[in-house]
Amino acid sequence: MLKLLLKKQLTELFRSYFYDAKKNKKRSNVSIVLYFVLFFGTIIGIFGGIFTKLAITICPPLCSAGMDWLYFLIMLSISIALGAFGSIFNTFSSLYLAKDNDTLLSMPIPVKYIIASRLLNVYLLGALYSCLIIIPATAVYWIKSGVKIGVMQIISGIVMVIIVTLIVLVLSCLLGWCVAKISQKLKRKNITTVILSLAFMAAYYFAYYKANEVINNLIQNAAVFGNKIKGSAYGLYIFGNASTGDLKSILIVVGVTAAIILITWLVLRSTFLSIAISTDKTEKVRYVEKSVKSKSIFGALLSKELNKFKSSANYMLNCGLGIIMIPVAGVVMLFKGDMLTKALFSMEGSPEGFLTVLLCGGIIVLSSMNNMAVPSVSLEGKNLWILQSLPVDTKQILKAKTYMQLILSGIPTAFTVICFLFVFKESVAVKLIFVLLEAVSLIFSSFFDSFIGVMKPNLNWTSEIVAVKNSGAVLISVFGEMIAGGAFIFAYAFLGREIGLIPYLLIWTALFTVGAIVFRHLLYTKGANQLEQL
Amino acid sequence: MLTINHLTKTYGDKKAVDDLSLCINPGEIYGFIGHNGAGKTTTLKSIAGILGFDEGEILINGKSIKDKPIECKKEMAYIPDNPDLYEYMTGIKYLNFIADIYGVPSEGRNDKIRKLSDIFGLTDDLGEAIAAYSHGMKQKLAIVSAWLHDPKLIIMDEPFVGLDPKASHELKTMMREFCDKGGAIFFSTHVLEVAEKLCDKIAIIKNGQLIKSGTMEDVRGDDSLEEVFLELEAE
Repeated sequence: MLKLLLKKQLTELFRSYFYDAKKNKKRSNVSIVLYFVLFFGTIIGIFGGIFTKLAITICPPLCSAGMDWLYFLIMLSISIALGAFGSIFNTFSSLYLAKDNDTLLSMPIPVKYIIASRLLNVYLLGALYSCLIIIPATAVYWIKSGVKIGVMQIISGIVMVIIVTLIVLVLSCLLGWCVAKISQKLKRKNITTVILSLAFMAAYYFAYYKANEVINNLIQNAAVFGNKIKGSAYGLYIFGNASTGDLKSILIVVGVTAAIILITWLVLRSTFLSIAISTDKTEKVRYVEKSVKSKSIFGALLSKELNKFKSSANYMLNCGLGIIMIPVAGVVMLFKGDMLTKALFSMEGSPEGFLTVLLCGGIIVLSSMNNMAVPSVSLEGKNLWILQSLPVDTKQILKAKTYMQLILSGIPTAFTVICFLFVFKESVAVKLIFVLLEAVSLIFSSFFDSFIGVMKPNLNWTSEIVAVKNSGAVLISVFGEMIAGGAFIFAYAFLGREIGLIPYLLIWTALFTVGAIVFRHLLYTKGANQLEQL
Repeated sequence: MLTINHLTKTYGDKKAVDDLSLCINPGEIYGFIGHNGAGKTTTLKSIAGILGFDEGEILINGKSIKDKPIECKKEMAYIPDNPDLYEYMTGIKYLNFIADIYGVPSEGRNDKIRKLSDIFGLTDDLGEAIAAYSHGMKQKLAIVSAWLHDPKLIIMDEPFVGLDPKASHELKTMMREFCDKGGAIFFSTHVLEVAEKLCDKIAIIKNGQLIKSGTMEDVRGDDSLEEVFLELEAE
């Protein structure tokens, strides 16, 4: 039975990789391989590369100072933090809010099997994130530490990778359980979840911001910190030391991890049912008639999209982070702009106007965090019949989804652009082109996201998070726009001197304009046709 | 009001609806019965403009649903077999959304909503999120939204499922009144007693093909509708 449930869970998770919803048939083996290569290649290439570089930087100095365990402690901590952070938003909805909970609970299936199958989802996502760090860290240790690698090191390496993924699972479960318990008592769940998550995220980014400084400090004073940790937090020493191949440490870590997993399992087992089947204890809202102001068809559709966005914490957090991050960048530039511009101006070899390009590209990259139009069609799910049966032009439906992103991204972007204009020491012409470029890049990304979303929909989800997060469309959107922003910045480093700032900005403005026109056309032709066929 | 000519719809190799023709006039309640998987929902969804079809034509008031889908949809309302509505909206928000789409003027809208909701005892609950509604309440809301914009044709798929006896009675009364005022209703049901008492005409579909249609008297003769249906199914 458990095998069946696990199979169902895996099928659901990777359905879009194996099944072509558009053609209503299984994908070819070649396209399945290509999809997996694209997904894992992109993730491993970008994140794995970043953390491999970090491992290469800190491994040799720490290992040569005999602090192998400290190297592992640092990398294990980062790995666990990223793993738990990456899956925190997924855990609550995967465990407790799955739409098929009622169906499964009505069947003669032991609750423990349902929990175990749900945990697979959480485990895989956490493992994906944490392995991006711990696997390269272990590999770098084997190659760069200068230590002779024997059987014990290999065994400890494999064991610690498994241990890390299990600790991430435990942390994710506990965080998910806390969120569930808090959520049961809240009235305005969505907004509270968003605020708490943002606070958590702010703390995370602050820690990330400080990480470089802390790591450098650790390396320079490795002996002092090493002794302090050994003296006052011996458990951490054991944890780091286990990865170096020390048998005693490995046994302790395995034993402690097993105990923690057992406790977590018991807590989940005893509380799962009461949380999963609980109904909201909110007071009944009695309808009070208010005067109505009628809306146009487009206004009604747009209002519907905005309502949907603000109704789901998952949707807001996964697809609308840019709404917060973009203005934060603007405020930072207003208050720390002088310091940043001086630092950037002093960068040797950068062409004139590089700062402008960097800031402009920065907003484009940050905008890639706003992709609410992408899962918008998928989120219609079983409600799609409503739009299909209404006397509404399909183009208007897609236009409303596009404009939702345009508005939700446009307002914070406009604010940040104004902040940046205060900091820029450029001519009026450059400032005007800057404003124009940001505007067209925003329009481009909104049409692009809508098009990708409608062409690669997933309407058969049992957990909303699958539509919001686990889709090829979201991946294409985020990385596509990040790559566009990156290309915009780096191309200037090579071409800036030859072309000059104004022509360079104009070329990109033209490129984004053409892109916006092309994707608008595709959205209203191919996209509209696709929506009618769904 | 509704003319279906040689409608054919296939899913892969399987013909879900095979050369189906029907005509529904103003003032008629037309029942649509058949076994599970006979093609009822496919036919109703094709009429509502949700599903495309391979052959034939569907005319709403003389206009083709294929060529002029928006104009056709303006004149009708559709209630699916499972009322999956926007759970993130409150009942009143949903009704106002539907009213905005159909251009129901704001003047008098509240009165209309109250009048229809009162029939089903739903008015007090309109401020609640649809997520908190029971299946029956969602069905009632779907019915209110269908009547809200004064359509000329209403397409309903199993409209009585989930309704309590009082709401079922109210719906039957509303259906009769609607058709007496010149509207037309085409609905599917498995409750043959309801079809027998309520419908002016009936169509029986089996494996995608229309096997019998006409006035209730023509179809059942001296037998009950159940007997006729079971006999036809056995053939």
